[in-house]
Amino acid sequence: MGGEKIMKNYISGLSTIEKIEKLLLLAVFVVLVVVPHVSGTATITMVSRIMIFAVYAMAYDILRGYIGVIHLGFALFIGGGAYFVGIMISQFGVSLPVLLMAVVGTAIYSAIWALIVGRISGKSGLLATAMITMAFAEIMRSLMTVWRTVTQGEDGLTFRVPSPFDNRMFMFYASLAFMILMAFVLYKFTKSPTGRVWQAVRENEQRAIFLGYDTNRARTIALLVASIVGGLAGVMFGLLNRFVNTDLLGMQMTYNAMLYSLLGGSGTLFGAILGSGVVVLFQNLLLDLRGVHFIFERWLLFFGGLYIVVVMFMPRGIMGFYYDWKEKMAYKKRVKDGEKV
Amino acid sequence: MSLLKVSNLVSYIGLFTILHGVDMEIKQGEAVAILGRNGAGKTTFLRSVMGLVKTRSGSMVFDGNPLVGKPPHKVSRMGIGYCPEDYGVFDHLTIEENLNLAVHKKNAATAERMDYILDLFPDLKKAHKRNAHTLSGGQRQMLSVGRSLVNDPKIILIDEPSKGLAPVVIEKMALALKEISKKSTILLVEQNFHMATIVTDRYYIIDEGRTVHTGMMKDLENDKELQQQHLGL
Repeated sequence: MGGEKIMKNYISGLSTIEKIEKLLLLAVFVVLVVVPHVSGTATITMVSRIMIFAVYAMAYDILRGYIGVIHLGFALFIGGGAYFVGIMISQFGVSLPVLLMAVVGTAIYSAIWALIVGRISGKSGLLATAMITMAFAEIMRSLMTVWRTVTQGEDGLTFRVPSPFDNRMFMFYASLAFMILMAFVLYKFTKSPTGRVWQAVRENEQRAIFLGYDTNRARTIALLVASIVGGLAGVMFGLLNRFVNTDLLGMQMTYNAMLYSLLGGSGTLFGAILGSGVVVLFQNLLLDLRGVHFIFERWLLFFGGLYIVVVMFMPRGIMGFYYDWKEKMAYKKRVKDGEKV
Repeated sequence: MSLLKVSNLVSYIGLFTILHGVDMEIKQGEAVAILGRNGAGKTTFLRSVMGLVKTRSGSMVFDGNPLVGKPPHKVSRMGIGYCPEDYGVFDHLTIEENLNLAVHKKNAATAERMDYILDLFPDLKKAHKRNAHTLSGGQRQMLSVGRSLVNDPKIILIDEPSKGLAPVVIEKMALALKEISKKSTILLVEQNFHMATIVTDRYYIIDEGRTVHTGMMKDLENDKELQQQHLGL
């Protein structure tokens, strides 16, 4: 069968909603590919940041939305990854092999934290895990603050990045590729048998246990996946900013991950991309409006409002709302077609 | 040879000892009922076998392997299917997803068993794309029993499958369990005496955490005095 025929069959097999979805996705992709050629550095950097945050939020969504772990120290990974890049480059020189070492180091660092948290969550329950993870991030933040000789303490560490990562345009496409690759990997995980066990654990751990699943193992795998992906997002963030300070390990960064994933739709994975886009764009818009009225300097006020509106009218987030709507439409269609429902 | 042998089992929850000495022996291919009044310890016994309740003393041997101290997921992997009282289905997953979730190893035999389950419970076949939370109590029970069969367990522990169901659904469920008992070993906890008589051939009566009587179901059906004494019928 020719490629054209396969394509035709594929398109005719899709419903109208699915066709619109695919077109929209294609349009977003085209826009993203074109953006760096038609906008300034500020926009390029902002969109790159959105894409990196999207990966960070998707990783968080694996924990909160898929297996039900509340990790209050998730900043450990974005901060850890960025610090790894900064420290390695400032200590061992600006080169690609050093960067590669930083990537490997970040993965090992993230995996160690994941194993520790996995062990704790298996023994102490989820509430204790939430509190302990918050303490871990604070410990790490304090360590980075007092290790002034290497990290420059609260002033933060400025560093150069090796070529071609010092090019904004390259960094933009690297972030885009990183987001697409991570979204694909995480999506595959959620659809795999392991992903199904994660969802079973989230719904009712005991039920998953008597089906023969080692839920501690399932949780540790989820922690490993989320932590490593979160850490890699940190590496990318470090490369983009060429600067890292202790704020990246602070609670605010964990709240950001929560906010992006909740707003976009917890447990929907791709909602995290939407969530980070909406939040960062809205934040930038409000900051731009500072000149119009000083009230916009208090952008968190508006943010709180947006969050309340979303929680009230879309408790499952933007993507959750969309999926519910789609299900409703499909149900109506089945009724209309006379199918017994 | 016995498939499950329990000797003098003592189990506890928190500070309270619930089972004070349960003895039981189930042979391969048998369908056995555990009867007794409310609070006698029947559910706790099944949960003890699954490793969900802690054991203080006594022994449980399944297919030649000790069960005491094994974590529940390993007990399940040894070939013990469990249908809890509250069905234990995942509400936000479809019937199909609930069944697939239970599959430990996907192969031709699993696919065959899936067909067998869906043939056994046509209601599940019809609604296989529906989320479990939209199902009736009877359908949820069917899903729970069906799911426990997916991995071809050596024994199925079923906890009060008639609970909260309409008489006509109970009858349907009893016939399905009778059909299952032709292929699998069943240990059934049941308050509904009529259902127990349809499904099982032998019984144990548990009272105040102890095995107090055992015998053939046919004999119990004819012994009104024993029914009155232990089951309050």
